[in-house]
Amino acid sequence: MNKLDAPGEPVARVLLVDDDAVNLLLTSVALSERGFHITEANSGEAALDMLGNETPDIVVLDAMMPGLDGFETCRRLRQLPGFDNMPVLMLTGLDDDASINRAYQAGATDFFVKATQWSLLSGRLRYLLRSSRTRQELERSKAKLARAQDLARMGSFDWRPALAGHLFGQLVMSPEGLRVFALEVDLQVSLRALLRMVVPAERGEVLRLLAQAMRLSTVLTTDMRVELVDGRERILHVEAEPEFNEHGHSIGYTGIVQDVTDRRVAEDRIRHLANYDALTGLPNRRHLMWRTERALEHARRLQHPVALLLIDLDRFKVINDTLGHAAGDELLVETARRLRMCVRHTDQPYDGVLDAAGSRSHRSLEAVGRLGGDEFVALLPEVQNERDAERVAERILEAMREPVYVAGQECFVTTSVGISLFPRDGQSVADLMRNSDVAMYSVKSSGRNNKAVYSPQLSGRGREKLELESALHKALERKELVLHYQPKVDVAHAGMMGVEALMRWRRGDKLVPPADFIPLAEETGLIVPLTEWALTEAARQASEWKRSFGFNDSVAVNVPTRMFEKHDLVELVHLAVSAVDIPHRMIQLEITETGLMKDLQSVIPALHRLNELGIEISIDDFGTGYSSLSYLTSLPISELKIDRSFVLDLGVTPQSSAVVTAIIALARSLGLRVVAEGVENLRQMEVLHRLGCGQMQGWLFHKPMPPEELELWVLQNMQPQNSPWVKQLQLLESGFDNQRAPGHHY
Amino acid sequence: MLTVSATCVPADSDGLVLDESALRRLSDLDPSGSAGLVPRVLRTYVASLQRLLPQAGAALAANDPVALRYVAHTLKSSSASVGAQRLAAVCQVLERRLTPPALIDCPDLVARLLAEGRSATLAFEQRLAAS
Repeated sequence: MNKLDAPGEPVARVLLVDDDAVNLLLTSVALSERGFHITEANSGEAALDMLGNETPDIVVLDAMMPGLDGFETCRRLRQLPGFDNMPVLMLTGLDDDASINRAYQAGATDFFVKATQWSLLSGRLRYLLRSSRTRQELERSKAKLARAQDLARMGSFDWRPALAGHLFGQLVMSPEGLRVFALEVDLQVSLRALLRMVVPAERGEVLRLLAQAMRLSTVLTTDMRVELVDGRERILHVEAEPEFNEHGHSIGYTGIVQDVTDRRVAEDRIRHLANYDALTGLPNRRHLMWRTERALEHARRLQHPVALLLIDLDRFKVINDTLGHAAGDELLVETARRLRMCVRHTDQPYDGVLDAAGSRSHRSLEAVGRLGGDEFVALLPEVQNERDAERVAERILEAMREPVYVAGQECFVTTSVGISLFPRDGQSVADLMRNSDVAMYSVKSSGRNNKAVYSPQLSGRGREKLELESALHKALERKELVLHYQPKVDVAHAGMMGVEALMRWRRGDKLVPPADFIPLAEETGLIVPLTEWALTEAARQASEWKRSFGFNDSVAVNVPTRMFEKHDLVELVHLAVSAVDIPHRMIQLEITETGLMKDLQSVIPALHRLNELGIEISIDDFGTGYSSLSYLTSLPISELKIDRSFVLDLGVTPQSSAVVTAIIALARSLGLRVVAEGVENLRQMEVLHRLGCGQMQGWLFHKPMPPEELELWVLQNMQPQNSPWVKQLQLLESGFDNQRAPGHHY
Repeated sequence: MLTVSATCVPADSDGLVLDESALRRLSDLDPSGSAGLVPRVLRTYVASLQRLLPQAGAALAANDPVALRYVAHTLKSSSASVGAQRLAAVCQVLERRLTPPALIDCPDLVARLLAEGRSATLAFEQRLAAS
């Protein structure tokens, strides 16, 4: 019945100590009846002995006993380890005030008057047990909090302001808080001593905040740098809120202090990563845009020009590709170092003071940043005129004139610098960036290694073209260029004799045809890195095909004549084929007749060296130029490709077949192969075949296609019976006239 | 030396030697009687009477107020528990009277304690024999 007093509570173990056997028995029975588990002891000595073996939840002690009385027993119990918080109920006489006081002095938790009202005793025991448990939980929770605060390097404090005359009041800091300050936990510390630990540079500000918070009775939240007694510098976060008495008067502060050094270091690191380029340590695009915005805001207020210099390394791609990315990175780091020296570069602008109108603080925005790749920007937050900006550009060009040592080699790297000025060349960061880009590209197209200030005439070239040019510039880095391949077919043997590699630009989701970008690439000089890439890629593809389906012919790559002026074309081709372990003959170079004739003298040495290596040269678009036939005889070339314009007219105009006949005769006399380009239908094929040209290329066989398609095509079409043109050929050989043969309508 | 004072007042003699209602309260603790609680308590009580009454006599003879007060204190609460009202009343008066520092100045009170003790012993022994 009475067990229902406290449903759900565990059975409490009671040690009952009484020398009076009758009372001991009665109390024991009555409490057992009420759900307690009773252990009896008939003297204080016996009770203390028992406590050595088991720990009850509560002790009920008769005060008056012979030998050790209840008071002395309680006193000794409290001295046992682990019993300082054990609830002890002392049983005293009703009229015994002295015993009640003695009971508390001896460390009893409570007293109870001896009586036979067992329910009251039971209720009192339950109350004591509950408050003991609550107390234990509180102790545990306090211990947990202390541990959590220690882990979080956090502590709490209370502060009462001083009475008049005293400056710093009274501070009570928790042990955890003292540990945050690396102080002894058993000594209290004064506010004055703590303030003295704040680094001198911040102390004034902290005092000001403190005074302000106190004056207005507001929350105090601040971070401060302190130097601990052991010399370490830490960043502490303090958060305190005012406490008020019942009249609403502020009586002090209560708060926490936390060591946030690690967090701040991490935050700073994140901020740095977000705003600075990892390779060079310079501000990145994002941070540079931010600085430029701030500089423009300032310039608008103070009405002065701002200059933006876009700096692009010339031929960086070549170095990156030939010496490797590590070398490229070294070069960028060195470039960054030199560029910094050309301006008054400030790593961290003074955030807080930028708004102070009229101050020179905006100067701290001046910086060099890296936009990405080999593009850098110099921001000059205040210039007098464009001459100022040009002087900085000249310093930059000069600084880059010195050779750079990367990968153990001496490299000569030049830069092209485009300049735009606020407000003349643009009102916004975007405008200024775009126009400095325009100016920079004008330098690139007029020979690089120079500077140019933006002018509207530069934009006259047409925005679209500029955008195209700018995009093409980045196409290589972004791997937007691809090679497609068109087979060259030997119709007489119904076999493929090689392929021509043709460049395509995958720009977004569309494929830009070569006619739309090759001329531009030629004009801007970008054709050089594009061709370098094409040679490497073609060699790689040839090697892949060799492995996948036994490809053993040549891949022809179109090479502009200006490539032949480069000393390293021969090495480039050699490296390209060696790197993928294919024979040199698997790369063929195609050079246009016009180009060849224009630069004949400078091209000849390279042609000879390439020929010696086993690399064949093919003359493209043959018949359109004005070839000096005498030279043709002495050139180490292997193949002539009949220009598509003659093939187009075959069977239509008699002149065209006359030209083709002449070319074939010339080639035969020089011992050269002849390949007809642009063969689109069976009639053209038939005429060419009749005229003695058995090697052809054109849509009749297949249009240029991605490498994986070519592989499929080879596997399908080299089975003679599958191809229409092979069947046509078989008809020709057997004397049929296809025009009259039924079933062929191509 | 024994000092007998004329101020000794006999305790209230209206109480009962054996209060049945107290015994009923005791039997409430063991309603079915299966645990034999009441006889056990009574036997224990008689045993302590037989132990403590001679101690009271010895304390009186030795003029030891502390020992005498201890007997009064112990018998006071156990007598009240079992319903020996008159003995409990005498014990209460004697215990208060002997609050230290005190001398044993009421031998008549001690004599009453002994007399009531004997009556109680007799009454409870009879009760035990009857049950």
